[in-house]
Amino acid sequence: MLNRRVLPLVVSGCLGLLTCLQGAEPAEGETVRTSGGQSDDWTNRSYKPSDLWAYRPLRRPTPPATAPHPIDAFILAKHPRGLPTAPPADRATLIRRLTFDLTGLPPTPAAIIHYRLDRRPDAYRRLVERLLASPRYGEQWARHWLDVVRYADSSGFANDFLRPNAWRYRDYVIRAFNTDKPYDRFVLEQIAGDELKPDDPEHQVAVGFLRMGPWEHTGMSVARVTRQLFLDDVTNSVGQVFLGHVLRCARCHDHKFDPVPTRDYYSIQAVFATTQFAEVDAEFLPSENTRGFNAHRKYHRLRADANGRMLAGLPARRVTPNDFGRHRLGRKWRVLFNWAADSYRPIALSVYNGPGTPSRRVFSRQKPVPLPARDRPRHSSVLDGGDVFSPGDPVTPGVISATGLPATIPTSFGGRRTALARWITHPDNPLTARVIVNRIWQGHFGRGLAAHANNFGASGKPPTHPLLLDWLASEFTAHGLSIKSLHRLIVSSWAYRRSSTHPDPTTLARLDPDHTSYCVFRPRRLAAEEIRDAMLAVSGELNPKPGGLPARPDMNLEAALQPRMIMGTFAPSYVPDPLPEQRNRRTIYALKLRGQRDPFLATFNQPGPDSSCERRDTSNVTPQVFALFNSRESSDRSLALAARLLEETDSDHQAIDLAFQLTFGRHPEAAEQAAALAHWKNSIRLQAQPPAKPQTMPTTITRRANEENTGEVFTFTETLFEYRDYVPDLQPHQVDARTRGLAQLCLVLFNANEFLYVH
Amino acid sequence: MSRRTFLHDLYGLGASLGSVALTSMLAETAAAAPRPHHANAPAKHCIFLYMEGGPSHLDTFDPKPKLGQLHLKEFQRGGEEQSAMSSGKRYYVKSPFTFRQAGDSGAWMNSRFQQLAHVADEICFYRGLQGESVNHPTANYHVNTGNRFGGDPALGAWVNMGLGTENSDLPGFVVLPELSFPQGGPANWSNGFLPNRYQGTALRPQGSPLLDITPPAAITGPQQRKNLDFLATLNRRHAKRHPQHDELEARMQNYELAFRMQTRVPGLVDLGQETRATHSLYGIGQPRTDNLGRRCLLARKLVEEGVRFVQLYASTWDSHDYIARAHGSLIDSVDRPIAGLITDLRQRGLLDDTLIVWMGEFGRTPDNGIRGGIKYGRDHNPNAMAVWLAGGGVRAGHTIGATDDIGAHAVEVVRPMQDLHVTLLRLLGLDDERLRFFHAGRFKQLSQFGGKVIQELIA
Repeated sequence: MLNRRVLPLVVSGCLGLLTCLQGAEPAEGETVRTSGGQSDDWTNRSYKPSDLWAYRPLRRPTPPATAPHPIDAFILAKHPRGLPTAPPADRATLIRRLTFDLTGLPPTPAAIIHYRLDRRPDAYRRLVERLLASPRYGEQWARHWLDVVRYADSSGFANDFLRPNAWRYRDYVIRAFNTDKPYDRFVLEQIAGDELKPDDPEHQVAVGFLRMGPWEHTGMSVARVTRQLFLDDVTNSVGQVFLGHVLRCARCHDHKFDPVPTRDYYSIQAVFATTQFAEVDAEFLPSENTRGFNAHRKYHRLRADANGRMLAGLPARRVTPNDFGRHRLGRKWRVLFNWAADSYRPIALSVYNGPGTPSRRVFSRQKPVPLPARDRPRHSSVLDGGDVFSPGDPVTPGVISATGLPATIPTSFGGRRTALARWITHPDNPLTARVIVNRIWQGHFGRGLAAHANNFGASGKPPTHPLLLDWLASEFTAHGLSIKSLHRLIVSSWAYRRSSTHPDPTTLARLDPDHTSYCVFRPRRLAAEEIRDAMLAVSGELNPKPGGLPARPDMNLEAALQPRMIMGTFAPSYVPDPLPEQRNRRTIYALKLRGQRDPFLATFNQPGPDSSCERRDTSNVTPQVFALFNSRESSDRSLALAARLLEETDSDHQAIDLAFQLTFGRHPEAAEQAAALAHWKNSIRLQAQPPAKPQTMPTTITRRANEENTGEVFTFTETLFEYRDYVPDLQPHQVDARTRGLAQLCLVLFNANEFLYVH
Repeated sequence: MSRRTFLHDLYGLGASLGSVALTSMLAETAAAAPRPHHANAPAKHCIFLYMEGGPSHLDTFDPKPKLGQLHLKEFQRGGEEQSAMSSGKRYYVKSPFTFRQAGDSGAWMNSRFQQLAHVADEICFYRGLQGESVNHPTANYHVNTGNRFGGDPALGAWVNMGLGTENSDLPGFVVLPELSFPQGGPANWSNGFLPNRYQGTALRPQGSPLLDITPPAAITGPQQRKNLDFLATLNRRHAKRHPQHDELEARMQNYELAFRMQTRVPGLVDLGQETRATHSLYGIGQPRTDNLGRRCLLARKLVEEGVRFVQLYASTWDSHDYIARAHGSLIDSVDRPIAGLITDLRQRGLLDDTLIVWMGEFGRTPDNGIRGGIKYGRDHNPNAMAVWLAGGGVRAGHTIGATDDIGAHAVEVVRPMQDLHVTLLRLLGLDDERLRFFHAGRFKQLSQFGGKVIQELIA
């Protein structure tokens, strides 16, 4: 159906990936040996040598002797002649940059003073070590990983229900970063944990990676098609996440740009042909947080009981729209609530090997089915045109053949994924180390050496510093695949420690228009989660408790109570946890529903979890102003900060000084101190009126909709149990005008560019 | 040091807080002042009616009697035409609808378009457009941004850069989505690599049009003004220390724009001031048409207020099954609101200034796959689709181009998406070859690499 017109090649400057573009052909050049295309033309076609960089064996180039730090030496080698470099950043700037990068939180005033006064020659190194050792480090870097793997607590699409145990995978990733799990272990466990150590809960949880994509199965779905959607999803996901290859492009035809025949696509897919969904028993580990269970379960039971009573009260013979509508809703919720109770049980969202009947279980736990004796796996095939009903040539489990690294993958039920994971983590695999090293680099500099972290093929941008990328990858491989060592290496370079102000911007714009020289540090806006977390940290409200059941923070009330349909009826409403310490946890622990995103986070560019996000957008839009300047959450944080400032200081002057230290990481200048004081005074006057009664939270909500069987309107009232016990954060009526006035000052500080940007 | 000296240091040469804020507002206004058109053009605004999901041309404006003879005949599609969606055993499906010719021009339309028939002579129907993508998000991106892979500026962003805004209290590019956003999300109205102020602003259809547009009660107008002024002070000092970081300036401007929107938007979206006759013209208050009717009326108000580009989404036309029921009820839901919009703009003398575009991301196939029984639906078809234009400068009362006898492919006046884009720009007085922006080493434009105006669509 696609037309054959030859399209000009679209080179998109930022996030656009060039995938599956029809008609274009690689230019003359080099041929590549693969498992073979669907036509001889494709098999024998040649590629531009520069497009094949990612398949070249990993080199270990010797750093030029032009700079003490190898990273700086490699960067210097490509430095535009005549372009000055920015001076090193000052210590205050550096500690803020480093603390946000490594932990996602601002440095405390004490930490800043300590670092600024630390005259030991290795003060910076000590700072790096302290931050890498902090549990906050894993929370920050797991966030980057979860963007790529599309973590969410619900299934998405038509079945956007809770995945009761998904949170254990999220915590596994955080632990992996905190314990500096060697990257090969990290890969092996996520792809084949259940095969490697079936009795180890950690391994069973880790392999939940394979189930991170959105997934649906409805009465309308064809089971085989659904199954194929999973296989396509997991194939592409493994390709993007670990190998930097958008394999989806080779689903219907040989890859248009890359030497990836459709045969490779289905060979990789065949690795997963025996992989089946299961929620398996997996005891909780001592390192997992199970403390919140009782508090959560109380409300879960209240909801389930109320639903049971509602159902029991319906007449046996249904007549009115309410009878029909409430019956449909009650039955659906009964199933949902039953399943959600698995949240409190030692179960892992996992997989097992077997023939499996295509899974139809959407609303309840599915257990592994024992392997039938003497059963043999069905063979896999290329699917012509990507159509599950058009099997073509048979394939055996395999890998990306263009890498030149072969793999022996068994055709039995078990062991396929282990073999694939061992191929991915093989030291001679040219893709794996480059891909992860590039991601970590991007986490520090905002952009990878190769700009498209998920696409190392011809349509992604080639690395700006290929020798540096190779050296980093080989260094990473040589030093135990330690991510923390990689951080140490990167942040100790001068490239990372430069000022964000360049001495000669005109020359900079002329000689480095694409910002690839690293001669000046590129400032970044805080990510959505960092903004919220930093506000909580500064206000003193952040509960640093790690892990456990997803927290339900406050959300804009209109967005929280907006009707949301799943499977032909209403989804239960989003209700925040009742207590401040339950709500005010780090954002990575917040419940993440695919179908109901927190508007504050979405506005600040938290990516949707349906597709892998290789790099976040940081666009600047007006609704961000409303979210940060007008929202109840911002007011709450500001008031809490004001109360903290008055509690911890003895004079107005000190309070303002501390406010600047906490939010900006520096003391106010005299003029700022005066202006802030004036603003505070003015605000005290404006806040003199006793505040209005605090907003009372709704304890019920009534929904209306057309009922399916009758076509008439039915209504349903849901009780929002948590709101009955809801304890708000500090509210204006609980404090005096002086505090309320100071809160206005704090609100402005939270909105200031200096708070939101890392320089 | 005296207080006066402090102020002097802070704000420079005797300026007061108020006057500094005013200066920044003036700067914003200057930046947003209308720019000269590239060419003489009738249309100054655009209302883009996006029929999300891919409306079937075969069941709306492009009837194919031949499908009656082929109905339920099976065939096998193969070879080069084969894609995932269209592979395997297929059968032809006739349209379940009746058609008639409307207006003096005799434009063909589904008989269920009862109101649109009255304004048929205002419309230029186009049957020659072809897209490239068979999937919703990429096809949406292609229509909206010219780049199937997203990330580029949307048409509305380009138009605003080209024409500037007439109203600095409102964004120049407003999107009126359904409760759920279209596939591909807000990237469909992104500013891409253009400055942030050209980004589309989505107004929610229920509750506050923009979340948190109203500050908490404790933050009165005077308090918020003081907060904004103090914020501007801090931000200016900060920007002075980071003169090379231009994002800071954009963010500062956003606060002033937000403050103005906060006072203007709630009144604007209130349709209570409109007469009962206007409400009924748009079908407001009628269950089927209220949703789109309200947004069509709001689109008119926005255009009156000087908003350059308004895009409305009406979903979902993705009728793979039960097309008779689904398309039938969708036609009923859009017919009166859209006809009302055209009529209202005409009555108010605004239609000549306003370009109206009606289209989806692709058309649909004359045939369907076997999916567990026959349900009379249609799959995605980027090779033939229904598009119509009305208002400023279009060749109203004509049907341009044609599809083959089963509606599978466009065969006359066949043009790619970029040609429609340059045509829409031309109708708005903009020249795609001149409306360019330097980014990542080259000048970029909506058409990506240039396009040809479809002269047949222009009066």
